[in-house]
Amino acid sequence: MTMKKTTLFTAVIALVVTSVAIAQATGDAERGKQAYYDYACYGCHGYGGIGRHDIANQSSGVMVNEQVFLLYLRARGDQNPAFSTQTMPHYPASSLSDKDALDIYAYIMTLVDYPPQVEDIPALQGILDDAKSE
Amino acid sequence: MTKKTEGDKVQISRREFLGTGAAAGAASIISTSAGAEPQNTSARQEAVASVSPPSDEQMAREVGAAIPPTDVQSAVKRPGSDLMVEVLREMAIEYVVSNPGSTFEGLQESIVNYGDKPNVMPEFITALHEESAVDMAHGYARCEGKPICALISGTIGLQHASMAIYQAFLGQSPVIVLIGREDFGARQQHTADDIAGMVRSYSKWDATPETLEETLNTLQEAYRQAMTPPMAPVVVVLDAEIQKQEAGDVQVPRFRPPVIEGVSDADAERIADRLVVAKNPRLNVGRLRTPEGIDRAVELAELVGASVQTRATFGPMSFPQTHALCGPGADENYDYVLGLERPGTHASIQNPSVRAFDDRDLMGIGFGNVRPPVRPQRDTSGEYDIVGDAEASLPQIIEAANKKINTRNRNAMSVRTVKHRKANRDARVAMLEKAVEEKRKGWNGSPISTARVFAELWPLIKDHDWCLASGTIFAGSHHAQLWEHNRPYSYLGMYPAAALGYVLGSSTGAGLAAKARDRIVINIQGDGDFNYAPGSVWTAAHHQLPVLNIMHNNRAYHMELMYLQHLAGVRGRGTERMHIGTTFRDPFIDYASIAKGYGMKSEGPINNPDDLYAALERGVNSVLKGEPYLIDVLTQPR
Ligand code: HEC
Ligand SMILES: Cc1ncc(C[n+]2csc(CCOP(=O)(O)OP(=O)(O)O)c2C)c(N)n1
Ligand SMILES: [Mg+2]
Repeated sequence: MTMKKTTLFTAVIALVVTSVAIAQATGDAERGKQAYYDYACYGCHGYGGIGRHDIANQSSGVMVNEQVFLLYLRARGDQNPAFSTQTMPHYPASSLSDKDALDIYAYIMTLVDYPPQVEDIPALQGILDDAKSE
Repeated sequence: MTKKTEGDKVQISRREFLGTGAAAGAASIISTSAGAEPQNTSARQEAVASVSPPSDEQMAREVGAAIPPTDVQSAVKRPGSDLMVEVLREMAIEYVVSNPGSTFEGLQESIVNYGDKPNVMPEFITALHEESAVDMAHGYARCEGKPICALISGTIGLQHASMAIYQAFLGQSPVIVLIGREDFGARQQHTADDIAGMVRSYSKWDATPETLEETLNTLQEAYRQAMTPPMAPVVVVLDAEIQKQEAGDVQVPRFRPPVIEGVSDADAERIADRLVVAKNPRLNVGRLRTPEGIDRAVELAELVGASVQTRATFGPMSFPQTHALCGPGADENYDYVLGLERPGTHASIQNPSVRAFDDRDLMGIGFGNVRPPVRPQRDTSGEYDIVGDAEASLPQIIEAANKKINTRNRNAMSVRTVKHRKANRDARVAMLEKAVEEKRKGWNGSPISTARVFAELWPLIKDHDWCLASGTIFAGSHHAQLWEHNRPYSYLGMYPAAALGYVLGSSTGAGLAAKARDRIVINIQGDGDFNYAPGSVWTAAHHQLPVLNIMHNNRAYHMELMYLQHLAGVRGRGTERMHIGTTFRDPFIDYASIAKGYGMKSEGPINNPDDLYAALERGVNSVLKGEPYLIDVLTQPR
């Protein structure tokens, strides 16, 4: 881990620990859905939060509250404009306003993925059964 | 051969005989026979300079109002091109894939008219783009390990075909590219002194024969060159006049297939010895040349009870993935690893790569020496790194090993075979248990998850003979875990030059291979790739090829969208406009309608995952009946 990433990491942890706010969305999830599309967050996170990097089911530590989320989007750029080892683009306020970001936050908070269990998906269970019976 | 402007007597008389010595030809013959020993280039310039404008008749022909020549032509009893067809037939060239041009009308007429069974072996296949024609030949070659021909017209057809030739070159696939050449047509733009020069830096071999006898021999040599490792595309320029000339008593030369040598007897002996003596031998099997090679690799593995690593989930012609010996085996401390077209810790037999032909572009006509993006690294760490052909060496190694096997070591071999079988099965189950947990994520998502497409397709095809023709990395490669790749053509792999516009054509070519073999082809088709040359949809519809095209329709050049987003992020400028130039919006493209327009059954777009299985079932049933089908599936980006 580089110095810069360590700094960011520490900042995030500090905020998580000291933050009193519980995850609560002040933005408009409906608008956020459109913004999620317009900024093409779906490109890497999938239309429903399942993609190259999953963010559905409130699984991300970054989503713990709005401030951490904003810090995650902003600090990345401020601290290291290149941030070359990570694929997630960074978003200074000039490229994604607080308002849009918080709407997106509200939308991401609604993303859930509860797929059926494997035994309830005949295609997957069948593949497993075939391998076991070989 | 320079353009025929040298006043060659035989050729003049032939042209006069045929009555096709059009203005251009006549003018050039006169102009060059006036000057003694003309230099090729100056002769050419002179010829061009002295060419009179094309006649009305010529122009009409080139713009489509084809008027057959009005002067009486003597019938040719035994046209040269009939003999060319005989040569192709004897070499079992199943198809000639072509986009028509008058530079090879002689050969085209022969293919479709000549012989007891005209238009069979080879059958004339219509491609709607020269790039598609070569991609089809490439797809066929990846399935069968042998060539068919692409037949294209002059300098223009070759330029359209060139990217596909480049792709086949990097794919080390045998493809015979035939180029028609007509020096005396109205279109001087379509001919050149050295047509094949355009693709010389990424083809293995080319020839421009000057007589019929030479042409017949050249076609046979082209086959040998394409099939001898490293396999690669070859180019033959066919003169229009030679195709049409009276063959007289010219005979078709006897065809001798290429003889591909294996390793030396001493090497085979030593490898066999080590394999037999080893307590835990292993084979690392890469891409062999032909299906026969795979059978031999299986034979060797079974003979010595070696566990095997395969490349079957990466590309064609490797070891059957769910063979009992394929997998990590019972003990991963291998004491002897033999690489077959792959590195091996103790020995490897690998053919040279096509890189060796970089220096063919002596005149710098192409784009300099082609640099493959990733230069294949040769692992020379093995005790024995043999530059040779693994497939041809296998019978020798098997024979030598057979002699060394006695009751005692046979026993040990069968004991470890049983252990490997169990360990490999367990390893597969463990891998799958993890994989299915991953694959079920986003199962009910809309647009539809790529994993679901692969998972739901499997039960529909697994009991049939299938070929997955498209490279699948962009679509998640879920088949690599979920499907069983046990045939030479189970998976044809990614585009070797990472150049788009290939998948639809090569899958259609796999369909050509599949048609007569009771096989179906699955093509998970990227939308970006589709749009370069969609005409292959018509080719599949017209020739009734059993190809199921399933659109991985993420409405984008998604790879590029992600790259651009990342860069915009690095620059801190936001991703709001990154769809510009990377997505297909306003309007969306309707692939089912495109397919219908080309005459292929189709449905979609399918956005509700619950509708997917039934659609896939309809598609599979259609291709099982020999009717191609397209399903437009709106998918998650990756
Ligand atoms: C080019 C791909 C890409 C795009 C576009 C993208 N992300 Fe990401 N995102 C990533 C990756 C990859 C990660 C994982 C961390 C990393 O490698 O940077 C990530 C991480 C995240 C996380 C933290 C997830 C965790 O596991 O803690 C959140 C939240 C997030 N992204 C939200 C967004 C939002 C909101 C947008 C759109 C405004 C967006 N991303 C656009 C690639 C992307
Ligand atoms: C001939 C060619 N032109 C351009 C590119 C650059 N390129 C790489 S990936 C890509 C997008 C591919 O789109 P698609 O086939 O739809 O796959 P997706 O990434 O959307 O899954 C492009 C244009 C290329 N590789 N080859
Ligand atoms: Mg796409």
